[in-house]
Amino acid sequence: MNGENFTRLLQVQQWLYHEARLLDSRRFDLWLDLLDEGIRYRVPSRSYIRQGHVKDFSTWSVDRELEADDALALIDDDLSALRTRIERLQSGMAWAESPPSMARRLVSNVMITAIDANGRMSVVSTLFLAKVRGDQRVLFTAERRDRIVPAGESFRLQERYVVLDDVVLASENLSLLF
Amino acid sequence: MKHSEYVAPDGSWIRPEIFSDPALYELEKQRVFGRSWLLLGHLSQLPRAGSFLRTYMGEESVLVTRDRIGRIHAHLNACRHRGYQVCQEDRGTAQRFQCRYHGWTYDSDGSLATVPGEESIYYQEIDKRQWGLVPVARVETYKGLIFGNFDPDSPALEAFLGDMAWYLDIILDRREGGTELLGPQRWRIASNWKVVAENHCGDEYHIGFAHGSVFPRDLGSNRATPLPFAREVRPGLGHGVGVNIFPDEMAPQNYLRLGPDFPPHVEKYSLGVQDEIVRRLGSQRARMALIHGAVWPNFGMVPIVNSLRVIQPRGIGEVEMWSYCVVDRDAPPDVKAWISGQSARTFGPAGSFEQDDAGNWTAVTRSSSGTEARKQRLNLQMGAGHEERSDRMPGELGLTASEINQRGFYLRWMHDMFDGASA
Repeated sequence: MNGENFTRLLQVQQWLYHEARLLDSRRFDLWLDLLDEGIRYRVPSRSYIRQGHVKDFSTWSVDRELEADDALALIDDDLSALRTRIERLQSGMAWAESPPSMARRLVSNVMITAIDANGRMSVVSTLFLAKVRGDQRVLFTAERRDRIVPAGESFRLQERYVVLDDVVLASENLSLLF
Repeated sequence: MKHSEYVAPDGSWIRPEIFSDPALYELEKQRVFGRSWLLLGHLSQLPRAGSFLRTYMGEESVLVTRDRIGRIHAHLNACRHRGYQVCQEDRGTAQRFQCRYHGWTYDSDGSLATVPGEESIYYQEIDKRQWGLVPVARVETYKGLIFGNFDPDSPALEAFLGDMAWYLDIILDRREGGTELLGPQRWRIASNWKVVAENHCGDEYHIGFAHGSVFPRDLGSNRATPLPFAREVRPGLGHGVGVNIFPDEMAPQNYLRLGPDFPPHVEKYSLGVQDEIVRRLGSQRARMALIHGAVWPNFGMVPIVNSLRVIQPRGIGEVEMWSYCVVDRDAPPDVKAWISGQSARTFGPAGSFEQDDAGNWTAVTRSSSGTEARKQRLNLQMGAGHEERSDRMPGELGLTASEINQRGFYLRWMHDMFDGASA
């Protein structure tokens, strides 16, 4: 890794940590400012789908599962839908988050897997999200596949695809963002 | 507590004991889930020979298959040798189902195909015809939906649905090509199954308050707010439905949408199929939209956002929600994509409405375990004695908000659980 790539990786990591901290501290309006106006934010639902060509589960493919044509996403939002999601949380009547859950996001395993001539990056990261509310604690793990684009001195999130590891969600709702 | 103390004779109160007594849950597995028609899936999920899906009937793991010649089967997902599940995946295509324990292998029609050591160690004495997977006693379909029933003496599916079928057609029979299911989304809620099912069956009362975060945010921009035209309708037999009945003078473009305005391609599609819907359902039903509903016992629905769900019981105090999006099979892909996205934005675990539902259901379930609280009556009297009939539609009608359907739900529960038994 040369110096330029190393610097870029550090910048992206710092930006992801900053983003996670905004969400942890419920500063949703500032989080919205990090989004590209063309953002697509998706969380697919997971299933075990028998893959006829697979003889050996060591070659089993998450991507092939996620291509299933009968899939129903858990979240499939554009910017307007994300804004509506945030406004709802701020309405004072979003009972699932009123009082709010305590949330802590750990972002790790950050890799820039591709970059184009305009500096648009494909970035993967691992998210560990702990949500505590009342006497309940729910843990989520996920791989996030992001498209992050340069914007002045910083970045904007143009695409996020959150591959949760839960097949049946252990959580009674998804009231937080990943 | 005598069973006559669980539910009022007219359904106008219940006792929370029914959400927390483990003995009642054991009885429900036999008398409710063992005798009712339960939703297994949709024919669209089994498009070709060898297609399969795995689901539950009550707490039983069930394997639903399309065999080599196209017939639909449902069997217990348990090897006849030691009971190990022969299918570990949720859906897909398979020629054979092989048990991982000792390798007994079954065909897609459930018959036992091969047994390792059949000649060498079984002396060729095993009669494979006797040891196929155990079939679910009855499997029938209604307009694409596949139902199973463990009770060989149960009434036919259409008789079980009764007048509810007239309402289900509004979702399932709009178009010649029928429907298909997308999904499911699956998530767990620490609630008794009945608390969730009764909410789907009849609770419009909670919408304005429990979902106060959404009103008027998602619905306020709507040119036709849904509730002024809504009635609760009790088709009978424990089923329930909330129906929007739009006035004759109202144009389709003014009542088709709920929530954000349709994007142009969805509006164009929806208006374009109106004539076909009128031809198939008649002008009266074409002016009705189902808001919510439930088929006894655990098939819930929120059809106004295309959501169908099975409330799978997981012990007395937990459910696994299996939520699907139902779409017209012949709708264009971009229309299906918008409808399923909008469905997920409103219902499902991340939906603007449904995020706030689970907390209510877990709280009701939790309070039902208190030794004092479980004995106290809970009030279900809203609208009792004010039921009406209409010559436009089958069933009994209540106002926009009425507990007519919860009363029907719990009276059906009493009937299934205790009719014929002594108090």
